Amino acid sequence: MDFLAQHQLYIVLSIVLIIWFGLAAYLLRLDKKITKLEQSLKK
Amino acid sequence: MPKYLIGKISLIAWLTVVIVAGIAMPMVPSPTQWYELPIIPALEEKARIIFFHVPMSWTTLVAFIASTIYGILFLKTKKMDYDLRSVSAAGLGTMFCILATVTGSIWAKFNWGSFWNWDPRETSIFVLLLIYGAYFALRSAIDVEEKRATLSAVYSIIAGVTAPFFIFVMPRIMTGLHPGAKGDEGGSTPVAQLHMPANMRIVFFASIAGFTVLYFWLFSMKVRSARIEASSQQS
Repeated sequence: MDFLAQHQLYIVLSIVLIIWFGLAAYLLRLDKKITKLEQSLKK
Repeated sequence: MPKYLIGKISLIAWLTVVIVAGIAMPMVPSPTQWYELPIIPALEEKARIIFFHVPMSWTTLVAFIASTIYGILFLKTKKMDYDLRSVSAAGLGTMFCILATVTGSIWAKFNWGSFWNWDPRETSIFVLLLIYGAYFALRSAIDVEEKRATLSAVYSIIAGVTAPFFIFVMPRIMTGLHPGAKGDEGGSTPVAQLHMPANMRIVFFASIAGFTVLYFWLFSMKVRSARIEASSQQS
């Protein structure tokens, strides 16, 4: 915690990374969902 | 790990490295280590915007050119799939264009003193947003699918031709606040003629490459979902 208090840029970095990973996980899920829909339409 | 996931996970990892490097590489007066960036007078930490804002602008151009190419292909072949691709690319291009405008505007407030300065580059991106706003207005105004596709393909070609002019040419032939504007030929800031240290340039191009690939991923998802929507409407 002391480290983060002294290096505030890393707080910004961790927030941005959390948002990025959240968005990336959402994109991966969405991609999977579209693939499933495509497969069910093909049948 | 399934094969189809490898490319996507690599892209996410690539962009994660870009984000970490772009935000966390320390800025020091005279860099001695490979990971240190120089302090640029008057920009300081704000110089980091180049790693995120410029790639947004670049991706906008890629998307708008893709939209134009698919517009041409539609007119040539009359295949509705090209219309789907053209509109998907234009939609993503508009999204990236808004992101470039908003990120630039926030940065301008703290570097140039106001959110909007009507600098040539700001004006040109605003005009570009209006042009593509009109593209979607045109599409929503026509109900007949074939006619909508043909008209918007023609419009996307005209709009696409203006995009490189607005992004590359106009801001360079007029005096303005952005680096690279007329009167800034020497490149007083590192961005203008890519006068930047090697490590900064690597992160910059890695970011451009990463966001371009991200665009293609988003584009493929958008097109695939639009195809599903189209086929569900037919049945």
